[in-house]
Amino acid sequence: MKTRRPVAGALAVAGYIIMIVPILFVVATAFTAGETLRFPPQGLSLRWFEAALSYDPFIGALVSSLQLAVLATVIALLVGIPATLAIYRGKIPGKGLVEGLFLSPLIVPELVVGLALYQQLMIGLKLDNFETLLIGHTVLMLPYAVRVTGASLALADPALEEAARGLGASPLRAFFTVTLPMLRPGIFSAGLLSFVTSFNNVPLSLLLQSRDFRTLPVTMLDYVQQSYDPMVAAMATLILAGTVVIAIIAERTVGFARIFGGINR
Amino acid sequence: MTIAAEFIGVSQVFGDFTAVDSIDLAITEGKLTTLLGPSGCGKTTSLRMLAGYSTPSSGEIRIGGTDMTRTAPEKRGLGMVFQSYALFPHLSVAENVAYGLKLRKVPKAQRDTTVMETLELVGLAHLAASKPKKLSGGQQQRVALARAIAIRPKLLLLDEPLSNLDARLRVQMRAEIRRIQSETGLTVVLVTHDQDEALEMSDDMVLMRAGRIMQQGSPQQVFPHPANRFVADFLGYENFLTAADGSLIAVRPEHLDVSAAAAAGSSDGLALTGTVTDVAYRGVDLLVTADAVDASGATVRLRSDSRSNATASIAIGDTVSLSAAAGRLVPIPA
Repeated sequence: MKTRRPVAGALAVAGYIIMIVPILFVVATAFTAGETLRFPPQGLSLRWFEAALSYDPFIGALVSSLQLAVLATVIALLVGIPATLAIYRGKIPGKGLVEGLFLSPLIVPELVVGLALYQQLMIGLKLDNFETLLIGHTVLMLPYAVRVTGASLALADPALEEAARGLGASPLRAFFTVTLPMLRPGIFSAGLLSFVTSFNNVPLSLLLQSRDFRTLPVTMLDYVQQSYDPMVAAMATLILAGTVVIAIIAERTVGFARIFGGINR
Repeated sequence: MTIAAEFIGVSQVFGDFTAVDSIDLAITEGKLTTLLGPSGCGKTTSLRMLAGYSTPSSGEIRIGGTDMTRTAPEKRGLGMVFQSYALFPHLSVAENVAYGLKLRKVPKAQRDTTVMETLELVGLAHLAASKPKKLSGGQQQRVALARAIAIRPKLLLLDEPLSNLDARLRVQMRAEIRRIQSETGLTVVLVTHDQDEALEMSDDMVLMRAGRIMQQGSPQQVFPHPANRFVADFLGYENFLTAADGSLIAVRPEHLDVSAAAAAGSSDGLALTGTVTDVAYRGVDLLVTADAVDASGATVRLRSDSRSNATASIAIGDTVSLSAAAGRLVPIPA
């Protein structure tokens, strides 16, 4: 049923404009043939894309960011999924406290987390900055891993596991043949959210950077502070394109409704 | 008569709540036994202990003569149908039915044959490739049955299997489950709170209340001879009257007659004079409630043919005579 609500409609349109128009400016300037980051672009060329892709600090940082995001996502899921099962299905005392602990990174300011990690891990334990960043990003992702997989676990009928047991499956077998396939959309979306969280993170990555290991957003930030050419717009456009591709894959394979439905339903 | 499963002094205590209170129960091989009672009577808890999903606080559960009190559910070889059906949503109908066979390492060719035979038994062979989500409630119910039967279980356990179906389908499925039971010769334990379902389907019915067994026997034994007031009440005896000697007598509402004339004082039957307090028209019958005009002041309810001339004009406030033949009076043991 379609309801006419002019105010809400206008606000939605305004919201889209506010979100999308700045992005369009960046994308447009990336295709300029001119020398400066200015709108409207002067002429049309792909020269800044070539420049971005052959600029070693960007490519190196992109590889670093991808490594970090993929690794942190895997670790967050490996820690988060068993934790979710323990919280939602296990018979442990103080479930609420454990859940709160896993969700707390959402509330604690990232700079505080970053500073604590810097003091305790990099200075205290003398870990190098990649290891520290990996731990930091993993911690940031845990709320998503626990919340999103937890939402799909909460929707799954506990009788499913019992049914599998009754038909002859050991607890482990029941988990892998019934529970895990049920959680697949939840795990996929938790992974996606985690990956994006890590890949886009600035505060933590900025605080824990080093000369040898720096993520892409931090490198781009550095670059913008020093020079004002459209190469950074080209790099941003490439990241945007990558994100759109990931979104399309997610939509085609699992579907947004199922990925994010887990949170809303 | 072989005993398929047995509860020996089994209790289940959750905190300070005793769900099942030291029950002794034998389940006969090849028969359909129902556990019947209101919610909270311990029937589902008993079934879950039999299936192995919960371990008794005390007592012993024997299946096929072996003590299985602490055996994991996957090692009991029983088939269970859940109230929610619990079909695996990511597997097709055929894969759901094949699940238990796969775990038993049945070769693929033989597995496929068994799956199709079982689906034919429940009349769903044409839906083998569908996902459970696409099926109606009744069809899902049949898949759940097929999945449990396919593993040739020692016992088939049904937890309120019909309660999520609409009224008409529920009545059909009663006959369907009976047919499947007699074709397969399986020992079936069915949990229900519906006395009609239990009466229609059971070979043996077990009435439970507050974790204890109130009465066990065939419907033919239990229905005419309820062991106590609870059983009588649960089976629909609505009128409880105290006889001259102080003993309790139960009369079903359809066995009481009402008329506007003065009570025809039959010597052996029941005769009362009463004031009508409510009349409800229900299509096939009238439900009349009346208070007895005597020392007891008992409230009685009766059903009367709605098209009978004798009762058509009965209204609230009328003084009527109520009677029942001697054969309709059921003595309730104290």
